Amino acid sequence: MGDRRITDHPILDFDEGEVIHFTFDGKPMEGREGDTIASALHANGVKVLGYHFKTKRPRGFYCAIGNCSACLMIVNGKSNVRTCTEPLLPGMVVEKQLDRGVPDDV
Amino acid sequence: MLINTGVPTREQIERRLPSPERRARGPYAMVECFQEIPCNPCSTSCPFDAILPMGDINEIPMIDHDRCTGCGVCASVCPGLAIFIIDESVGDGTASVTIPYEFRPLPEKGETVRAVNREGCVIGDAIVTRVLLSKKTKTPLVTIRVSDGLVHEVRFFNLIDDKAVSDATSLKRKEEPITVDSACASDDDEIILCRCEGITLRTIRDLIREGYTTVDEIKRISRAGMGACQARTCGPLIAAEIARMTGQPISEIQPSAHRAPVKPMPIEFFLGGDSE
Amino acid sequence: MMYDIDLVVIGGGPAGLMAANTATEAGAEVLLLERDGHLGGQLVKQTHKFFGSEKQHASVRGIDISTMLGDRLDSFGERATVWKNATAIGFYEDGVITVDHDGIYKKVKPKRVVVATGASEKFLSFPNNDLPGIYGAGAVQTMMNVYGIRPGHRVLMIGAGNIGLIVSYQLMQAGVSVAAIVEGLPQIGGYAVHAGKVRRAGVPILTSHTILRADGKESVERATIARIDRTWNAIPGTEKTIECDVICISVGLTPLAELLWQAGCEMRYIPSLGGSVPLRNNCLETTVKGVYVAGDVTGIEEASAAMVEGHLAGLEAAASLGFKGDRYSEERKDCMEQLAALRSGPTAEKIRTGLACAECL
Ligand SMILES: Cc1cc2nc3c(=O)[nH]c(=O)nc-3n(C[C@H](O)[C@H](O)[C@H](O)COP(=O)(O)OP(=O)(O)OC[C@H]3O[C@@H](n4cnc5c(N)ncnc54)[C@H](O)[C@@H]3O)c2cc1C
Ligand code: SF4
Ligand code: SF4
Ligand code: FES
Repeated sequence: MGDRRITDHPILDFDEGEVIHFTFDGKPMEGREGDTIASALHANGVKVLGYHFKTKRPRGFYCAIGNCSACLMIVNGKSNVRTCTEPLLPGMVVEKQLDRGVPDDV
Repeated sequence: MLINTGVPTREQIERRLPSPERRARGPYAMVECFQEIPCNPCSTSCPFDAILPMGDINEIPMIDHDRCTGCGVCASVCPGLAIFIIDESVGDGTASVTIPYEFRPLPEKGETVRAVNREGCVIGDAIVTRVLLSKKTKTPLVTIRVSDGLVHEVRFFNLIDDKAVSDATSLKRKEEPITVDSACASDDDEIILCRCEGITLRTIRDLIREGYTTVDEIKRISRAGMGACQARTCGPLIAAEIARMTGQPISEIQPSAHRAPVKPMPIEFFLGGDSE
Repeated sequence: MMYDIDLVVIGGGPAGLMAANTATEAGAEVLLLERDGHLGGQLVKQTHKFFGSEKQHASVRGIDISTMLGDRLDSFGERATVWKNATAIGFYEDGVITVDHDGIYKKVKPKRVVVATGASEKFLSFPNNDLPGIYGAGAVQTMMNVYGIRPGHRVLMIGAGNIGLIVSYQLMQAGVSVAAIVEGLPQIGGYAVHAGKVRRAGVPILTSHTILRADGKESVERATIARIDRTWNAIPGTEKTIECDVICISVGLTPLAELLWQAGCEMRYIPSLGGSVPLRNNCLETTVKGVYVAGDVTGIEEASAAMVEGHLAGLEAAASLGFKGDRYSEERKDCMEQLAALRSGPTAEKIRTGLACAECL
């Protein structure tokens, strides 16, 4: 993942958090402690988090603070997880979401 | 002009220069802050009261160069990074500029760097003579020496192998216009107004043309704004499109009704709860 | 179970933190709800030094202000409760607030409420505006400054307001190159000193320009920009292609006021404040008695004003419950004076006219 993680920053110190293993569409990947699912994927160069259920256009995150819902994915079998704010945990099974997911309307 | 380009004019700079006698005497602060903004740490931080107190926080900072010792405290505090310490007193054909430099890697003393002006263009070479770190402000002050003719131009430097920065300047060289088909009809199909439900600008425009002119009506018919974000992202865009097409002032277009919950929740969630 | 409490503060940004601190200090029992796992709101990603005066912690970096305010709240012990990962999801007219706290459904019925939910980022319409790689400026800042991840290699920034300028600068600090900053208006909207910082670091600011479209297969590969005339129409022949893998949208924020709509507060659309804002009196109380507001949700301003508003709202909410210290009048006056001073300059003219319409109760 190398060059996407900032190591030398003029203002901030980023501690090298513990490595967290997870999978994305079956591929093993590594994130760091403190990552959200979306930040860990981004560090691995993954920008496409799913395809829109209707237009089939690729989807990526937009706001990264839980406002816009562009980042919904399937996590451990559960759909519509807001991955930009959901903390990454060891062993998570993360998948692209291609449909509307359940529940539909509440 | 400053507000069009972000670069002050020559007259603005010249009016801030101290007298030739003062310039020959030793280092002084050049305060390149020309706009009334609500900010005053420069004046409250100067240990010699050289930056005059501001009656109103929006005043433009004024400096008494006879009191200024060129100590650099203000330069490392200023949130606008708009203060530079100039020393023209050496008299050997060189002069130095101290620059607040918040980038990594930092240069080393003795290193040759490219001297850059206020517009980001390289105008010569410079030698780093001091790198002063501050734990408190985390704004390093880097002093570079240039030929004295450049001292009022140089305000930044590039490291010689600094790829990121030189990459950014290269846009200027690449400015060749290319042709694209001007906004063709199919563009409306590629503009997504509601990301959650995948509703295009074309769909929204068609509905407005059919006479649906409130956000709520459009929402009910197209599902735009019914998705997971609850119209936070698309609501303002739909309202703006209605305003544009119908000529109504946007302030009169009702936003869509807001109902709880502010994020979609599975129904089991409400049945659960903490029943201590 | 229903939680009873003096005051609930919704939102743990600078405004909410100040409100909670002030009200607890005055003697009220306070519950602070924050949707995120950490306090600080927008402040946690702001690595630059702030403007303002010493009272609003000028020249301190945003990220350090947030730690200071959070520590102070901690020091009150049990009188101030903080729920993190707690989203207020509903605000009913009978005063009940429903909360999703770590996946558990809770109801709270406070005597007073301060809503300090901040703002959300505006979006822009252009062809392929939904391509992955097109991110809000706040998102880019969050990725870099909170998670330590570069959003890409080369960024095109849309918008030369303070946020667009500051985020461009922070991108360069993180080692990302910024191809250009594109601004539709003929002038730079942000402070000249921020513009100066990015200009000397080599980034062109293209005023009277806009983005025509983004292109790329699965994610952004390039953008087309062009010069525009006064009616915002692209001038043919001025199109340019910019190679970039990120397009960062920084065209403003809009108050996140859903809870206020739900509670039945009277709202007014005021463009210079960023969208629909609650009407309120000079104690920051809305048309619904007992519901106070502070920070960006009252209109988009700055953290400095948000903190003073939070202070005032916390002070007034506590005072209306009878928690009125000896310094009440003095503090109130001080808040009013700080707000007036922050808003007195020419750069705040839009805010002054907007506020005149919102503060009419
Ligand atoms: C790039 C950038 C640079 C800036 N630079 C400056 C500067 O130099 N000086 C300055 O003074 N200001 C600056 N600002 C502005 C400043 O950050 C904001 O004005 C300020 O943070 C607003 O404070 P707030 O408390 O109103 O909102 P926020 O900081 O947005 O906090 C709101 C909080 O509420 C939470 N929340 C929202 N909804 C709910 C809910 N339903 N339930 C529970 N919690 C919820 C959010 O998670 C968030 O933590 C800058 C802003 C940006 C983006
Ligand atoms: S350089 Fe030192 S003496 Fe001169 S204005 Fe700045 S702080 Fe004051
Ligand atoms: S501290 Fe810097 S930005 Fe602020 S008023 Fe002084 S010179 Fe201007
Ligand atoms: S990216 Fe906006 S909610 Fe996740």
